[in-house]
Amino acid sequence: MTEPVLEVRNLTKVYRQRRGEDVVAVDDIGFIIKKNEVVGLLGPNGAGKTTTIKCICTLIRPTSGSIRINGTDAQRNTRIALRHVAAVLEGNRNIYWRLSVRENLEFFAGLQGIRSGRVRSYIDELIEMFQLKEKERTDARNLSRGMQQKLAVACALVKKTEVLLLDEPTLGLDVETSHELRFALKEMARRGERTIILSSHDMSVVQDICERVIIVNNGKIVTDDQVANLLRLFQASAYRFEIEGRLSKQQERQLEERFEMLKISETDHHTEIEAQLEDGNRIYEVMDILKAGDSRIRSIARKEPNLEEIFLNIVKGGKN
Amino acid sequence: MRYLILFKALLKQEFILMRRYLFNTIVSLIGIYIIFLLIFFGAHALGGGAPEFGATLDAIVVGFLVWTFALFAYSDLAHGMVREAQEGTLEQLYMSPVGFTWVSLFRIVSRFWVMLTFNIMLLVLMMATTGRWLHLDVVSLLPLIVLTLAGVHGMAFATGGLALVFKRVESFIGILQFAVVGLIAAPVGRFPLLRYLPLAEGNRLIRRVMAEGLSIFELPATDLLFLLANSVLWFGLGFLAFKLLVNVARDRGLLGHY
Ligand SMILES: Nc1ncnc2c1ncn2[C@@H]1O[C@H](COP(=O)(O)OP(=O)(O)OP(=O)(O)O)[C@@H](O)[C@H]1O
Ligand SMILES: [Mg+2]
Repeated sequence: MTEPVLEVRNLTKVYRQRRGEDVVAVDDIGFIIKKNEVVGLLGPNGAGKTTTIKCICTLIRPTSGSIRINGTDAQRNTRIALRHVAAVLEGNRNIYWRLSVRENLEFFAGLQGIRSGRVRSYIDELIEMFQLKEKERTDARNLSRGMQQKLAVACALVKKTEVLLLDEPTLGLDVETSHELRFALKEMARRGERTIILSSHDMSVVQDICERVIIVNNGKIVTDDQVANLLRLFQASAYRFEIEGRLSKQQERQLEERFEMLKISETDHHTEIEAQLEDGNRIYEVMDILKAGDSRIRSIARKEPNLEEIFLNIVKGGKN
Repeated sequence: MRYLILFKALLKQEFILMRRYLFNTIVSLIGIYIIFLLIFFGAHALGGGAPEFGATLDAIVVGFLVWTFALFAYSDLAHGMVREAQEGTLEQLYMSPVGFTWVSLFRIVSRFWVMLTFNIMLLVLMMATTGRWLHLDVVSLLPLIVLTLAGVHGMAFATGGLALVFKRVESFIGILQFAVVGLIAAPVGRFPLLRYLPLAEGNRLIRRVMAEGLSIFELPATDLLFLLANSVLWFGLGFLAFKLLVNVARDRGLLGHY
């Protein structure tokens, strides 16, 4: 369980521009992913997720750094490395629109060098798993966007590679199909048969499917941790205070100066303050400020965190 | 083994597409046939009286055949590549562990058979309408056609590669198709330098086989060697340029970027 399947070290990609400044899309990123891990690559638009993924599957040549897949250097022994990795890239562009569902699956097995006889039953299984049975003979271009995406994932799976890269797999899908696809991915993650790296700027997708998350922003890794750890960490330190009336300007200023990730919302009769307190004792600091202004505290409670807030917090923190 | 499996997959894909889009192919064949009729009967009307005119008509049939071959080969490959880049499947092809080089080579070989089928149909049609039955010595023709097309494929690879890096080249591909006509009609006899371009020499030798009834063994060995060198060179250069350009595209992140 502990052997590394993917090792990315000091990966940097600079897009040289003929006009204007060069773009540093990925800036000295490194991580190690173990067999059968399911990892989310989370980051806002332009963070460098696609570039990282395409570097891993050799579609983009890194400016520097190394990538090893199953111990093989992806730049030096590209073809051997490619035996171990399949990718579904951004958008609905990974399949042949003029081939049917089954024909696509057979073709991509062949492209990988796998004889169709050897994957026939697996193809049946995939068609079943992604609920494409009725559309088996339909051309991909006549499928709904969601089905096309499911087919694309199935076409990556049929290659039977250890590593599966999914770039924004649920982007542009309606809620229902997005959930169907997530369900299938979760099922795969649960079975623990593949090492999956899934990029998204949608935290709920990552929270739903992945056990570990790597948060990137501006081409750099900001956090790399188990999703559960992150949630726990933030659960322990996120508090909500409710007071009667409003805060004075002075109180607001003091709070802002001393606490990060502060959120103040006022209604007619009371005010809610949310704060991230790395140390439980800092509750008293907040209480001191509130008391000094004669505010009456109604309640203090721990807040249930979600990955979205953690993400926003970390990304904001990473910027300054 | 992997190579064979890959080749089979590509071949199968071609045949599926051919069957499914048979109607489109037939429509374009009819279009080409109509152009042929216009040229042939136009030429007939202009110079029908001259005694040596039969030879010219034969040359037109052969030239037309080579032209359709070259046109299909060129536009299929160059346009096909641009289209796959746009549709995103080129990136998937690139990720084949058998290697993108083999994917590209097998793809043109598998297209060749599809193309051959249609061109034979077209040829029979052309010969039937004109009443000029030419010599169809398959053993002599096949190697000549393959060699002739190799040079064309080199050009197609190079322009396809250019289009991946410089998106604007795409419109240029259409123009180059017509340059191909020039190469076929090139008066190699008068300007020997033209022999060094792709296609011209091959077309001349194919004409000798089909119109004069020579077998490949009766052609001058020097001519054959020249054709071989010419084709290998153009194909090699084109393919090398293509591989280079693909790497440039990979450097700039353009392989599937539209
Ligand atoms: N081919 C390219 N040439 C130049 N710059 C590029 C190219 N591709 C991406 N970039 C730039 O590199 C940066 C990272 O882009 P990338 O596509 O990797 O981000 P991303 O995290 O996938 O974003 P998104 O969520 O929008 O897909 C961005 O600033 C982008 O504009
Ligand atoms: Mg992206």
